[in-house]
Amino acid sequence: MTMFEVRNLHKRYLGIPALDHVSFIARPGEVTGYLGANGSGKSTTMKLATGLIEPTSGEILFAGRPINDDPMGYRQRIGYVPEEPHLYTHLSGLEYLVMVAQLRNMDRNTANSRIDGLLHLFGLHGDRDVALSSYSKGMRQKILLSAALMHNPDLILLDEPFSGLDVGSSLMFRSLINELAKRGKVVLFSSHELETVERVCSHVVILHRGKVVADDSIEHLRVLMALPTLEDIFSQLAVESDSEAVSREIADLIHA
Amino acid sequence: MRSQWVLAKLQFRTLHRVFFLRLVDLDLLSADADLTRLIGQFAVIFCTFSFVISIPLMLMNGGTLAMTDAWMFEHFLIETTMTVAGLIVVLNWDAAFPDKRDLLVLAPLPVRKSMLFVAKVSALFAAPALAVVALNCFSGLLWPFLFRADNSGFMGMLRAIPAYWFTIFAASGFLVLTILTLQGLAANLLPRQMFLRLSAVLQAAIMCILVSVYLLEPSLESPAALTSPQNQRLLEWLPSYWFLALFNQLNGSMHPALVPLARRAWAGLAISMIGTCTALLLCYFRLMPKIVEQPDILPQARFASWSPSFGSPLTEALTLFSLRTLLRSRQHRMIFSFYLGIGITIIVGYVNTTPTGLRSAKAAISTSFLFASILMMILTVTAFRVVASIPISLPANWIFRMTQVRARWAYQKGVRFSWLTLAVAPVLLFVIAGVLAVYPWRNAIEHFGVMVCLGILLVELCLFTFPKIPFTCSYLPGKAQIHFVFWAVMMVFLRLLTGAARFEERLLSRPLSCLMAILAIAFAALGIRYLSGARGAETEEMLFEEKDPAQITMLKLS
Repeated sequence: MTMFEVRNLHKRYLGIPALDHVSFIARPGEVTGYLGANGSGKSTTMKLATGLIEPTSGEILFAGRPINDDPMGYRQRIGYVPEEPHLYTHLSGLEYLVMVAQLRNMDRNTANSRIDGLLHLFGLHGDRDVALSSYSKGMRQKILLSAALMHNPDLILLDEPFSGLDVGSSLMFRSLINELAKRGKVVLFSSHELETVERVCSHVVILHRGKVVADDSIEHLRVLMALPTLEDIFSQLAVESDSEAVSREIADLIHA
Repeated sequence: MRSQWVLAKLQFRTLHRVFFLRLVDLDLLSADADLTRLIGQFAVIFCTFSFVISIPLMLMNGGTLAMTDAWMFEHFLIETTMTVAGLIVVLNWDAAFPDKRDLLVLAPLPVRKSMLFVAKVSALFAAPALAVVALNCFSGLLWPFLFRADNSGFMGMLRAIPAYWFTIFAASGFLVLTILTLQGLAANLLPRQMFLRLSAVLQAAIMCILVSVYLLEPSLESPAALTSPQNQRLLEWLPSYWFLALFNQLNGSMHPALVPLARRAWAGLAISMIGTCTALLLCYFRLMPKIVEQPDILPQARFASWSPSFGSPLTEALTLFSLRTLLRSRQHRMIFSFYLGIGITIIVGYVNTTPTGLRSAKAAISTSFLFASILMMILTVTAFRVVASIPISLPANWIFRMTQVRARWAYQKGVRFSWLTLAVAPVLLFVIAGVLAVYPWRNAIEHFGVMVCLGILLVELCLFTFPKIPFTCSYLPGKAQIHFVFWAVMMVFLRLLTGAARFEERLLSRPLSCLMAILAIAFAALGIRYLSGARGAETEEMLFEEKDPAQITMLKLS
């Protein structure tokens, strides 16, 4: 089974723990939400999962094999949308996608037809020859998504993919993620938008200070914690401060 | 009122510092980069130059100079300082005007447009001013003693120092202001998108003119040459001679031959000042809204996105990425054209010193042509090596890491192809066109063979020292020294190159020896390729950093 498994993952940056023995499983056919406050270790997990950084200890398995056994074969099977849309902005949208297809060793005809289709479907065809430096954040995000999906990956890692997208595009992306999961892809979806996560994901992993504090289906968590929404569950598990009290303090501070 | 003044001063200091430090692109420096250290390195280089040209010459000339010798040294110092100041402004081409990032960041803040303007302009002038001071820190104190007017005694010495410094700043200022005026005029007269496209061409053209004029300017530092009717037209176009005259006017050592040139210096200085003020003010207050509203880059024509096929998809991706970066990144293009400009200038200078020029009396390839083609090959590959080590966007490199689905050797193969296509092939085309048009075909083929092997050897040497994807690796500021070392050995290198050209000329008359030489170069290239391959086999992953980046950047506050 092509499931994605994180086993006892531990990562320290200069002695400071970013991830503390994290374990979870993301299965094909379902969207796994990966939640946590800022600095909880979500992006670190994503970078570890893509092989951009090495863990201090623990391992990540895909389809039953550690990803380091065959990193090149693994990279061929993953699609990744990073949190920040870092692109080579001197290239046009089309040039960037063609370059990624070539780097991924895709067949030229397949790549051309998929790139053309994706640009049409994402509404970027008219701007395909415009330099990426002139693209809006949402347009860049669509290019990143196209680059992540065009080789039909088995594992899709999405780190805040809705950032900068307009409402229409967000709704379309939401459906797209569900559709991809239905077709047997493993989708790991990291986001701060709890409402979206609640609608898209069947299973969530909640991180707090580098540790997994919840790993279950949303439905089961609701019943277990006797809380009506994911927002309430998240606040209970991963938010330490009283948000209303803090907001009052901020308002007091700037009025003083 | 007072608090407003204090606020304005604080804003000015902050903005000035930010704009000044941004003259070096922060994105290009690695996490450990120290910008002030890099600026310090440049200052030390200039100070050393000033020391080197001051102390030995002072000793050699025993403290006195004939008038024509004095003019020669005065002209050299003025011309060098002008060129350095001009090059600094050309390299910081975009620093004169606020870019979109400045406007978007600063617009919501209570910063006046005039403050932005003053801080930007002061930062822009600070860099060449510092370079002028560093470049003259020894020469500006020592040489004026030799430049004093005859029989002027101690007072003459005291007059020579301020005259020298005023002239040096006026000459550099004239060049800097003229460049800014040209840029400002283009920005005001052309539509913004067209200006952005043409500005790159204008920048490259000014860069080439500066380097060529500096290296090819004729020596006219004598009353006879300055008054000769045939030189008058030329002198009207050589500002360094105008400021030589200005210095002598201020120094009290004026010669009648210099009077019209001094007048030209004053006029030129006034016109450039008025031109710059007008152009810059118009730019700031007329064009600022357009900078925010309009996109910087327009879609390219559909035909321009046609891409040739270069074999495997990876090779094609790496070659096109390198080609597009070289063509579209102003900074990379500038450095590349600087090296090529130097090469062309040396070739023109060398050819002019040989009696037959590029032609040969003996129906064989001339030494000048051999010299020119070898030099261009070496400089083009070196220029590519230098620009390839400067990254276009470090944060965007993740895509190369994420998509590495082939072994390292496949990447090396692609990178090798891109080097051969972009650095070696253009020179080979130039060589084959030149030799076949002028020289006998047998010699032409032999020389072409030598050049092919030399190109491959140079590329293999570069790949051995730089086994990375071009334009993707972080740039360590300390590495900048390689440029200075390169230029320091250039003079020795040119002598060796002349010897090499003569050696090849002899080889071309003996086919067997020529074949042996080609084989020797080819074997050397193969040897280095083998070493690169052996080293590359140690790891499967491509390299992107000079050293592994720290995951946390230490603030080093204590």
